[in-house]
Amino acid sequence: MNHGTSSTRREFLKTATGAAVTGVFAAPYIITSKALGDDTTPPASDRIVMGGIGIGNQGGGDQGAFLGRGDVQYVAVCDVRKKWRDGAKDRVNGRNKNSDCAAYNDFRELLARDDIDAVHIGTPDHWHAIMVIEACRAGKDAYCQKPETLTLREGPLMIAAARRYSRIVSGGSQRVREDFNNLVGPCWNGELGAIKSVNVRDFGPLSQLCNLPAQETPADIDWEMWLGPAPWQPYNSGRCDGNFGTGGNSWRSYVDYSGGSLTDWGAHLFGGATFASDVCELQPTAAVFHKADGQLGAYVTLTYPNGLEIHHRRPDQLKPEGPQIDGGKIQIHGDGVKRDPKPAPGYKGGGGIHGDFIHCVKTREKPFRDIELGVNTMVALHLLTIAYRLQRTVKWDAATQQFPGDEEAGRMVDRARRQPWFLS
Amino acid sequence: MADDAAKLDSACEALKAYNWGADKNALQPIEDAIVSTSSDAAARAALEARLIAVLESDVSRDAKDYVCRALAVIGSTASVPSLATLLTKEELSHMARFALERIPSVQAADALRAALATVSGDLKVGVLSSLGNRGDAASVTQIAAALGDADSKVAAAAAAALGSIRTPEAAKALAAAKPIAAAMSIVMDSRLACAEAFLAQGKMEDARAIYMLLVGESNPKLIRLAATRGIQTCLEQKR
Repeated sequence: MNHGTSSTRREFLKTATGAAVTGVFAAPYIITSKALGDDTTPPASDRIVMGGIGIGNQGGGDQGAFLGRGDVQYVAVCDVRKKWRDGAKDRVNGRNKNSDCAAYNDFRELLARDDIDAVHIGTPDHWHAIMVIEACRAGKDAYCQKPETLTLREGPLMIAAARRYSRIVSGGSQRVREDFNNLVGPCWNGELGAIKSVNVRDFGPLSQLCNLPAQETPADIDWEMWLGPAPWQPYNSGRCDGNFGTGGNSWRSYVDYSGGSLTDWGAHLFGGATFASDVCELQPTAAVFHKADGQLGAYVTLTYPNGLEIHHRRPDQLKPEGPQIDGGKIQIHGDGVKRDPKPAPGYKGGGGIHGDFIHCVKTREKPFRDIELGVNTMVALHLLTIAYRLQRTVKWDAATQQFPGDEEAGRMVDRARRQPWFLS
Repeated sequence: MADDAAKLDSACEALKAYNWGADKNALQPIEDAIVSTSSDAAARAALEARLIAVLESDVSRDAKDYVCRALAVIGSTASVPSLATLLTKEELSHMARFALERIPSVQAADALRAALATVSGDLKVGVLSSLGNRGDAASVTQIAAALGDADSKVAAAAAAALGSIRTPEAAKALAAAKPIAAAMSIVMDSRLACAEAFLAQGKMEDARAIYMLLVGESNPKLIRLAATRGIQTCLEQKR
């Protein structure tokens, strides 16, 4: 089902099925019962053929979600770590009861396969943009784990590639739709009135420079490919191991590979906050830095074109009066003047965010977490990060994707990638 | 103030001995100075001069890496000559670009453009990509010359850079490009990027001319479909 590219696999299966029935083939056993489907599994010609890139940790979770679906034919895995690559391959073969799953070290080899319709990408963040864009150029749809981008410049290029080649590209935060229903309901059904402000609390440090010492590079990992476009640094297990740690104990802690907890958990929480308050299709106009003042800690406020303010870690002493709901990590304050309800968007198809993606691959509808919405959330988080790093307010022009008149902030829109990798 | 100056002196000394595994907290006063000199041009110039001196001295790759990161934020024309000398060095070229790509002055672009004549292979890929990322329209002629490079990675990087610059001259160079086969897909992708830029600028005829070039039967189906959609958009916007 490779839209936009030759569907040789499907055409072959259809032809072969017909041929087997009419006896043209002397060996009809080449069409297995699995290929023809049964009560619970669609025929192979109706399944989405998938591969996974970056298959350890969260990528393994995504693989499990896709592999468990009857309408997905999982055929290939890619990881620069042999142990993860082999483990993921074994899992696929165990599920498919064959030994057909291919395993790659280099994602470009997987993307070059004509038979693959879609990929899921679960690498560290510094690879996301290049892989999503290359997937689009290869005619693949893509499900990309959050945080979708590492820099501001990456987002528009990812969106452009998806639109240019009519690809379905979904961001990967399931929590946006699933964790904040206690907030989404009162906001979208109009009970809270016009949303005036939101506060997001409770997530942690910015990413930091990594200066871990060199260790001997294990034979198990292709270190040059792990680093890819990131600055060269010697191997150290603390640089590349781990998954969710942001306190110096995983790649998510380090600025070359991640925006730290601010973009990691931030993708969930600001994704949820902007969805609940119905600004997920917008980008902020500014990130206002509030210096620490006496008892009040420093915090940042994002301003939106419709007047909404989303605070990050606003001190509790500044909590506004009036109607509000407290969802723990997110608090939302409205004017209390009831509005007409609006239906909140949801997943299409069954099976959560992964099912939403597969449904949209089949129907060509926009997924719930269309890449543009994921990028909008990431822009908010990158602006927060830059305001904290510069310890001052920055203004943002969504139309030009620049900080108008602000050369210092403008330098932080992107960073040079290590050759031979580039972004365009 | 005197205390801050002493801390900065100490950090600059620590930087000279910096290497992977060293205590990065020792460099915190430099980080603090980068922020605090934001509105003090003289202090920032002085900080930049100290960092350039470290870059020009016999220090570790990691120390030079650190300086390039700092110069990406505060570097000016004053940093360009020192950074430019690193563009031809296998281990340091990327971090030199890390700074030069972000320094807005024309001298930074000039240095990158000049390096095109002296680097090859992956280093040339990097320099081309940095000129593209800067959107450096003044480099179109030099970048276009690399479209015919025998190294497919270099030719592809040149095409990508022109696709990032997206001026009429860049589009013209891409339209005339006859790269080796392995670079052709990026050439076509960059042509599409130019057409999209023209569409956004309301230059329908220019966009349409590119799309018409790409709908031919000999092109991959994905490209033909993208071009067909582009022609449709041109027609819709003309109405």
